Amino acid sequence: MEIVVENLVQAFGDAPNTILALDRVTHRFPAERVSCILGPSGCGKSTMIQIIGGIEPWTSGNVRIADGIGGANRPLGSQSVMVWQSLNLFPWRTVVDNVAFGLEMRGVARKERHERARAIIASVGLRGFEQHRPMQLSGGMRQRVALARALIMERPIMLMDEPFAALDAQTKIVMQEELIRIYERSKKTILFVTHAIDEAILLGDEIVVMTARPGRIKDVIPVDLPRPRTQEMVNTPEFGRLYDRALHLIREEVLRAMRDQERAAS
Amino acid sequence: MQLRAKKRSRSAALVYATLPYLIIVAVLVAWELLVRLNGIQPIFLPAPSSILRYLVAMLLDGSLIYNLSITFMRILGGFVVAAVSGILVGVAMGMSPLTARIVDPWIAALYPLPKISLIPLLIIWLGTGESYKIVISAVTAFFPVAISTFAAIRQVDPGLIKTAKDLGATPHQRQIKVVIPASLPGIFSGLHLGMGVTIIMVVAAEMIGGSSDSGMGYVLVHAGQVMETEKVFAALIALAVFGTVITNLQKWLDRLVAPWSDTKQ
Repeated sequence: MEIVVENLVQAFGDAPNTILALDRVTHRFPAERVSCILGPSGCGKSTMIQIIGGIEPWTSGNVRIADGIGGANRPLGSQSVMVWQSLNLFPWRTVVDNVAFGLEMRGVARKERHERARAIIASVGLRGFEQHRPMQLSGGMRQRVALARALIMERPIMLMDEPFAALDAQTKIVMQEELIRIYERSKKTILFVTHAIDEAILLGDEIVVMTARPGRIKDVIPVDLPRPRTQEMVNTPEFGRLYDRALHLIREEVLRAMRDQERAAS
Repeated sequence: MQLRAKKRSRSAALVYATLPYLIIVAVLVAWELLVRLNGIQPIFLPAPSSILRYLVAMLLDGSLIYNLSITFMRILGGFVVAAVSGILVGVAMGMSPLTARIVDPWIAALYPLPKISLIPLLIIWLGTGESYKIVISAVTAFFPVAISTFAAIRQVDPGLIKTAKDLGATPHQRQIKVVIPASLPGIFSGLHLGMGVTIIMVVAAEMIGGSSDSGMGYVLVHAGQVMETEKVFAALIALAVFGTVITNLQKWLDRLVAPWSDTKQ
């Protein structure tokens, strides 16, 4: 599924006090690839994927999801599933009922949806925790529940909003490998929002660098590191070159954002 | 060195566990001695031992159980009416902005009114029978339940609702499967407040309704009028124990129905 974004504008608040969050963003996110969206905080990257996911309305522009180039358009939200930074697990539901939530909404019978949920839970390494509640799990395990709850939907697009930002460094590495594994097995179209440059290079086929507010696309860096990806690639010269390029772009934007803030404060 | 530290921490733990009870015993002993040594008249301050004698006598002749259970039935009646109507109104307000707009001025006007001031009016309308006691306690408890329910529903994490939407829940499913369970802990805290005021209002109504001849409020007023101070104290102790039991029962029910909300704090 290709995601086409044309002249997307998102403005909050009523004139004349509107805040422009996204300013004429245009990009084609390629089908069955991982696009990492990198940008300073407040650049509208979360807003953008929520619009693509059909969760938020937008001000103007064109967003569509097509069955391959030139294919029929599909309604927003029907082909994608979000993984949230705040996880948004349902605290009153057990792990298995959290994971089975989407199937339950679709009217799948209890026995079948639990069976399918158990299979997915096992595949993300949480066998034995089906009856636990989110509060009883560690951060990394909760992250796996959130991932399982998205995977069970079997939607071709995964929208991930800084899903690993709250994890400790070791857990983060494990979860990144998990995601690489999931991608290389399922070939989903993944949009992955992050502000970590190394994460963007490790996971992405391309890095979409955004500007500080209002969010525009500053540059697109293709990442042609071979797959399967491994953490060891962090030490290759190719990785270093990509890192320097992305860092340079991001530093410009962060500095610009700081200058803007200082100007607004004075 | 380490051993001694451990020993000290163990004795500290012992003090921590027993000191509150020791102090209670000490206060009771001091009270007993104060009354006996100074020859204080039981009309003003009876000794704990004579209060206990009264308490046992009231237990044995069945009057305590009888009056407590009558008070309990009235509390239950008022509480159930308040809980059902309060939750219904709170949910309706939380889910429909129009309902909230219509109901809000009524709540804003009636909530600050001391409900006890409604007693004369209610006695005119309903007499001093059971319905008056249940209505006055239900009206009082209705407000905290409705307001807490409304607040709980409005404060549901919008991220959870968005997530449910993303996972294909219809607006109706989002209300039933997300908004209601997410607001249960808040609704429960409203029910706790409601139970507290129900107990107060039932006992107060029993004290004020002139023709009332049963319930703990009646026991209190009657014993007070004939200066049976021991009985007043005994009734107060029974009410305190009764209140504690009800509150703990409620907490236990909370954990049973919403076990997740407990671990959050």
